[in-house]
Amino acid sequence: MLIDEMKYITPEISLLCFALLIVVVDLFVTRKGVLPILSVIGALVAAFFTVGLWGNGGISAFNNMIAIDQFGLFFKLLILASLVLVVMASNKYVLKFEKFQGEYYAVLMLSAIGLMLLVSAVNLITIYVSLELSSISLYALVSFLKDKASSEAGLKYLILGAVASAILLYGMALTFGLTGSTGLTAIADYFRTSSTASPLLLTGLVLIIAGFGFKIASVPFQLWVPDVYEGAPTPITAYLSVASKAAGFAVITRILMTAFGQPDWLHAEWAIIIAVLAALTMTVGNVTALVQTNIKRLFGYSSIAQAGYLMVGLAAMGMATQGNADIRSGIIFFLFSYTLTNLGAFIAIIAISNKIDSDQIADYTGMGKRSPLLAGALTLFLVSLTGLPPTAGLIAKIYIFNGAVDQGLLWLVVIAVINSVISAFYYFRVVKVMWMGEPASQDKVTSSWPEWTALAVCCIMVVIIGVAPGAFVGLTQAAVKMFGI
Amino acid sequence: MLDLIFYLLAVIALAASIAVIMVRDIFRAALCLIMLFMSVAGFFLLLHADFLAIVQVLIYVGAISILIIVAIMLTRDARHGLPLDNYKYWAGAVGLLLLIALAYGILNTTFTLPGTAPLEQTIQPIGQQLFGNGYVLPVEIAAVLLLSAILGAIAVLRDK
Amino acid sequence: MPTIVPWLIFLLPFASFLLIGLILRPFLNKWPRVAGYVTIGAVGLACALAFWVLFAVMGAPEHKLMVDDIQWAIIGNLNIHIGVLVDALTAVMVVVVTFVSLMVQIYSQGYMKGDPGYQRYYAFMSLFTACMLGLVLANNILFMFVFWEGVGLGSYLLIGFWFHKPSAANAAKKAFIVTRAGDFGFLAAILLLYASTGTFDTQTLYNLVATGALAGTTLTWVAIGIFAGAAGKSAQFPLHVWLPDAMEGPTPVSSLIHAATMVAAGVFLVARFYPLFQHSAEAMTTVAVIGAFTAIFAASMGLVMNDIKRVLAYSTISQLGYMMLGLGVGSVAIGIFHLFTHAFFKCLLFLGSGSVNHGTGTFDMRLMGGLRKAMPWTYATFVIGSLSLAGIWPLAGFWSKDQILVAAFANNPVLFTLAIVTVFMTAFYMFRAVFMTFHGEYKGGAVPEHGSHDEHSHGPHESPAVMVAPMVVLTVMAVCAGWFNVTGGFSQLLGSEAEGTNLVASFLGVFMHPLPLASLIVALLGIFLAYAMYLKKWISPEKIGNALKPIYTLLYRKYFMDELYENVFVKTILYNGIFKAMAMFDSSIVDGTVNGVANTTAGAGGVLRKIQNGQTQLYVISIAIGAIAIAICVYLFH
Repeated sequence: MLIDEMKYITPEISLLCFALLIVVVDLFVTRKGVLPILSVIGALVAAFFTVGLWGNGGISAFNNMIAIDQFGLFFKLLILASLVLVVMASNKYVLKFEKFQGEYYAVLMLSAIGLMLLVSAVNLITIYVSLELSSISLYALVSFLKDKASSEAGLKYLILGAVASAILLYGMALTFGLTGSTGLTAIADYFRTSSTASPLLLTGLVLIIAGFGFKIASVPFQLWVPDVYEGAPTPITAYLSVASKAAGFAVITRILMTAFGQPDWLHAEWAIIIAVLAALTMTVGNVTALVQTNIKRLFGYSSIAQAGYLMVGLAAMGMATQGNADIRSGIIFFLFSYTLTNLGAFIAIIAISNKIDSDQIADYTGMGKRSPLLAGALTLFLVSLTGLPPTAGLIAKIYIFNGAVDQGLLWLVVIAVINSVISAFYYFRVVKVMWMGEPASQDKVTSSWPEWTALAVCCIMVVIIGVAPGAFVGLTQAAVKMFGI
Repeated sequence: MLDLIFYLLAVIALAASIAVIMVRDIFRAALCLIMLFMSVAGFFLLLHADFLAIVQVLIYVGAISILIIVAIMLTRDARHGLPLDNYKYWAGAVGLLLLIALAYGILNTTFTLPGTAPLEQTIQPIGQQLFGNGYVLPVEIAAVLLLSAILGAIAVLRDK
Repeated sequence: MPTIVPWLIFLLPFASFLLIGLILRPFLNKWPRVAGYVTIGAVGLACALAFWVLFAVMGAPEHKLMVDDIQWAIIGNLNIHIGVLVDALTAVMVVVVTFVSLMVQIYSQGYMKGDPGYQRYYAFMSLFTACMLGLVLANNILFMFVFWEGVGLGSYLLIGFWFHKPSAANAAKKAFIVTRAGDFGFLAAILLLYASTGTFDTQTLYNLVATGALAGTTLTWVAIGIFAGAAGKSAQFPLHVWLPDAMEGPTPVSSLIHAATMVAAGVFLVARFYPLFQHSAEAMTTVAVIGAFTAIFAASMGLVMNDIKRVLAYSTISQLGYMMLGLGVGSVAIGIFHLFTHAFFKCLLFLGSGSVNHGTGTFDMRLMGGLRKAMPWTYATFVIGSLSLAGIWPLAGFWSKDQILVAAFANNPVLFTLAIVTVFMTAFYMFRAVFMTFHGEYKGGAVPEHGSHDEHSHGPHESPAVMVAPMVVLTVMAVCAGWFNVTGGFSQLLGSEAEGTNLVASFLGVFMHPLPLASLIVALLGIFLAYAMYLKKWISPEKIGNALKPIYTLLYRKYFMDELYENVFVKTILYNGIFKAMAMFDSSIVDGTVNGVANTTAGAGGVLRKIQNGQTQLYVISIAIGAIAIAICVYLFH
């Protein structure tokens, strides 16, 4: 019975209830500080329900529309964690909006619901609808500042997102038309009995990869990233760069593994595509980042480069003959560490920009004197993004690159390592600017306690994962369990 | 007979879509778009998809086209066409490339048709699929999507 | 010896870095000197522990201590454990690094006094020392690479310490980028190693080489790659260009870089992977030839420099060439022994030059002269250091250089000729520096408008005791360090056969052999020529300079290598080519929001038009082309 299966979407339902509650409460209360608290409570309640479902490994609900597996549940928790951190980081930033703070939190939560459904969806239709739910919410959030840059970013994102969505839909339609099914496991059944794929079906696969390539910002579908990152409200940029990207990787991993994961000739097909795209993505992201002067654009290109490293993992996954679980856990681990690192970096950037009202890297001069803690935290995150010890970023890179070498992708790992070296140049340029040089003003830069808390959580996690990764490796290894394989 | 109708619709659809791109007046382009939507509805009818044909007319012709026309009327100057059209030839080339790629794919693919005859009555099965024991979850997600779109639209479009 | 001891040697300076950087500098800004004490305490303790390790290693069987690894993480099928490798090479290196670093840190208290970046300076110095110690201790080539890069980072921060000076900022950048070029070789070698052996562990690599599992062309390429990295850090031709510029940093930093940390890292790396080199004749030849060529090439440029630090810088490059030559034709013991003795006298000479600068406010030897009387301590220590560097019996430099010459003589007459000519040049340029700086008349010191130290207007003066004391300690070492190997004790520690047994006999025995005598005479000739030209003026340097104008210019302009790199590689290829293209791509095609194309329209209605400024269409076209290109590739390769 459907009613019995409602328990499987309790996290989403509870989050939806809180989103609606926030809209209603926003009408009546004047002290808007209650809204972020409600959002955080909502996210925690949803997280509680998600944890409650853990261990229910590998079943599907609502006629194979969504799966309840540890893979999906892990990503739901990751999305909720980033939601909480972004809400905490928004607490001062939302004062820029005056009106519509309630809508801001509500729409943010709705987009989280979309992402949560996306990571557990096992049917092309559910995938598409959840993707649209998250995307449409994000289009609105990107233009929330309503100034020129923000509106332009929102419109660009909307139009390009619509194009990408059309491409994805076309790919799904072709796949459905030729395999006769929208369920991922049913598509897998079709491939199990066939020895080759028609060109049109391969086109469908390519278009699906292209559609999600937009979401995860892979070259050549990445052009929207710097403009949108620069124009969007900074907390939304942070959210885009982690939650949206993590969900994009989760769903593409699931589609490729479940629907297109077997037989061998099929996964070798997409592995090569993704390997080439990975090489391009890393290189374009890193080299273009070298010349950036705006920190949000810099992080835009940096996130493209990081997507490239993750795609090395995807490619390795395609190379492995038996759907190597270690590689998948490497991707999960990388996303986990990247989420914490990048969010932390953005929280520091938000705190700094709240005070200096600028995103120019040059204006960060002497930040080490104006706020040693913020500058220190940002330095830690940049070190982690570069992939140096003692941070999570190093382990994550070793994890993914090791898997890729095992699968014979040494050439790709060589490119990735050279790229990591290149990335040190622009990450450390920011560090250098902050710690050397005299500040333009002697004003101390401080922050509010929710921001400090969020920042502290990210810092501690990044270091703990870097120093003692054992427990987290175990967690991500548990999270590879995926419905249907 | 059906073949004849198909080719007629195909010519109309192609002509309409070419007109949408070529006509400089955006209002007329929108009218051509309506023509395109109508011919697509015709294809659905040919395929025994009566419900989809009706939905196509109701939503695309009835709602979306009107929305486009209203938007054009509310926007000053928009009727004079695109202010900047630098990428015309690029777009044409890409379109051609896409055509070649798809044509190659379609011509090299053998399509297997289901052996069963199309349903006489589609509305009831579709309804059961959407709201009964089939696709109820995506439908519900779509409802949340609408909510999000409304909230977002209000927040973005009203004054600061 | 407890397991923790070698770990502490690395952890103490690193903790000092964290303490200064995270706590002292932000919160205890009022007492900057604390940072200096913390660093000196940490490095001093590390130095004491280093000696403990050295004695433990000397007493251990096969001169190697077994220290258990620490399990760090199991990632997939990859078991990462971190550990230290404590053998004789490590023990000698930690002693050299910590000892020299300690001297430099003490000296810096005087030299850096009152500098606004005092705490930052000590934080970076701790980091630099820690990374070097990490490199020396690591038992795993991957971790070595991490610390290797850490050393590069530390040098970048310290050379560019006075970043407001454009020359310092450029020098730092140059050092970072040039050494990076060598690092690509190192990185490629690591990847090649991993691809062919599947391990990063140093000891396992030794075993694989010993059993012949790793051999042939692969081994040669790995060795050459490692040497490329070493050549970058150790400033070997053609990657030597960064080192002379690197003196833009504070002088104690130059001292540390030239003596024990940065440049020694390259020599150490070759020594650490010496078993790999030994099994590849091509790699050994490469090391020896590059070393010998660098030795004479750099020495020739040292002949004409007028800046005392530049003379010393070229001397360092030249001596590093010797070390490489020693490794290439001889053994680990020979190369590392020269590194060992060189560390002391080169550190001493740099500290001396810093002291001179402290007294006169300049590094230009043409503005000095006659400092002998004003700075007696500096003079005495500097002369002893110069004698040691020139290779005069019985000072440290003589013993280590002699071994290299003997090994070169036995190996190849050409290499030997290069080496012995370099001995002559070395003696000449060092005493040219001594005579120009300390003898004759005082020529006024810094030109006022360049002088940043106003208090120097009243004439040159001796440096404070905190600066002189480390110099005196180092002088003792510059005299005695060579004696450790008179009977072959040092060589034996590093795995070579012992030669003599009787200390006195060996000490005096060198005069019985023609080779040491010859090198001694050549060195004395060099000193005599400098004496004739710069003290007695029997021969006018100007006349020789004019007579050999083209050669002089060639040397003075450093063989035009800087111009070659900057104009051809950096400006034309990198800057005008790649970076400009990238910047243009970003600013004119991708970047739409800040270039003002759409700023003419305002308001909500303007937004619609704004998205029509072309970017969005272009993006869509890019997406479409991308998707189609992938599809076509799939068709083609399916």
